[in-house]
Amino acid sequence: MTGTLTASDTETTTARPRRWRGSSPPTQVLVLTGRSLRALLADPRVVVFSLLQPLVMLVLFSQVFGNALRGSVAAQGGSYINYLLPAILVTTGIGSATQSGVGLITDMKNGVLNRFRALPIRLGSVLVARSIADLVRTAVQLVVLLLAAVVLFDFSPAGGIFGSLGALGLALLVSWSLGWVFLALASWVRKEEVMQSIGFLAMFPLMFASSAFVPLDALPEWLQVVATVNPLTYAIDASRHLALAAPVGTGVLSAAGTSGLLLFLGAAAAMRGFRRPL
Amino acid sequence: MPEALIETDRVSKTFGGVTALDEVSLQVPRSTVLGLLGHNGAGKTTLINVLSTLLPPTAGTARVAGFDVVRQPRQVCSRIGLTGQFASVDEQLSGRDNLVLIARLLGAGRREARERADELLELFDLRQAARRPARGYSGGMRRRLDLAASLVGRPDVIFLDEPTTGLDPTSRRGLWQVVEELVGDGTTVLLTTQYLDEADRLADEVAVLSGGRVVASGTAEELKARVGQRTVTTALADPADAQAALAALRGAGLAPVHDAERGAVSAPVTASRELAVVVRALDEAGVEVGDLGLSEPTLDDVYLALAHRTAALGN
Repeated sequence: MTGTLTASDTETTTARPRRWRGSSPPTQVLVLTGRSLRALLADPRVVVFSLLQPLVMLVLFSQVFGNALRGSVAAQGGSYINYLLPAILVTTGIGSATQSGVGLITDMKNGVLNRFRALPIRLGSVLVARSIADLVRTAVQLVVLLLAAVVLFDFSPAGGIFGSLGALGLALLVSWSLGWVFLALASWVRKEEVMQSIGFLAMFPLMFASSAFVPLDALPEWLQVVATVNPLTYAIDASRHLALAAPVGTGVLSAAGTSGLLLFLGAAAAMRGFRRPL
Repeated sequence: MPEALIETDRVSKTFGGVTALDEVSLQVPRSTVLGLLGHNGAGKTTLINVLSTLLPPTAGTARVAGFDVVRQPRQVCSRIGLTGQFASVDEQLSGRDNLVLIARLLGAGRREARERADELLELFDLRQAARRPARGYSGGMRRRLDLAASLVGRPDVIFLDEPTTGLDPTSRRGLWQVVEELVGDGTTVLLTTQYLDEADRLADEVAVLSGGRVVASGTAEELKARVGQRTVTTALADPADAQAALAALRGAGLAPVHDAERGAVSAPVTASRELAVVVRALDEAGVEVGDLGLSEPTLDDVYLALAHRTAALGN
């Protein structure tokens, strides 16, 4: 065939084309990430609610605690919103991480994963794709949250734009690593209700028994003890230090290091659990 | 000896202490349909899961399209299509995007993938709904999309797990037609079903699964011959004629049964021409018939007959 390819040529060649040999892992991840993101956009209500939820938290906490705590947080960064926002960034990220696990189980339940399992692809691609899609979702969520805080609540921390972005980046890293932990849990547990409960139990006590909303010395003594061993306190403090341009010290490094370790362990456990047959 | 595209050799699968498959040995030659008949819990889905590499067998070996399902899962996966009992499509994506996704994962380029998707949407009469999210599809459309998704890679072997359960009669016949066309094009099909008529219509060979074991196999005709009869049921215009009708049918050499509740008399027959015998006998006895029907043996009849036979062998 030397001439130009005409329409009829292409038609005849599609009669029994060669077999597709399977896609490469990067293509698998790309295609599957696209799928998850598209599914997200397909239901705008979910997007709106997921963006609204942290904003509601921000309004509630800033209004409820703002006045009462004006004095005690002033030393740590001026207005309460400056103190609060880094914490909301981290907790929003963690909430988003719990959703990763639930999303994976939903896929298992509606059978799509069974179809993927019977395709010549690496199962790990499915997990990596979900993790990346969730990372993108969380990033959008956090950026909207940050912008809203600047525009609506006059968030203006001492760390300026770079400090704020640093706080956001750290929250994102924490979210990503915990997302893998929840993916690991999901691929071993495989029950939606159980995952929801685990997510709730992990979230709420840790969130309140930390430095998220009030400085540690404003907590009752026993709760101070809990908060001091609560890893969330360290993640929030690190994020807050970045935003407020406080002396960062080793806090940020250890928060990042812990996240990295969790990410690695979570990913390893998730891959193992996910590979188990149905 | 034709090439077997599905071959199992004493495949067993146990879950904990429960035996789901018990030394199942099957051979399905290229371009034929094996109907796997059995009630819920007989092991049909487990066998399909083993053959499609979703579950490893506890013992025995299985080869699909020439590849071992345990040692060469990738090769198997790129040659099979799987349509499960519950349509496994991404509800959030449109029908077209579902098919494009599968094609891309199989290794098609963007354009190729779109072309293949459109081809299948056309084939399965889903073109109008192509861009709507699958969650809005009816049961029949979803099933068609699911089947289309399993055909994207032009597989050599297709597993259909109760493909028509829950479908309306029109969709059911449509699906049968698609299966027949696929087999005509050289595809090998393993189909599970609870309906004898479905196996009868589609399958070259039938294997009956019960408690994880193959308890009978052969062509649908052989199986039916073994089960024996079809049944003629006559609803009597006047229920008071029951005794006369029974006597007339006995006189014609049949073994009729009276169903007082429905005001009907039924008798097993071996060939459809015996329908005429029934009509003539009743007519001559002056019994007026309200309604007359010939029913095929059901899966229950198959089980019953096989159970009888096993019991007889046991004695």
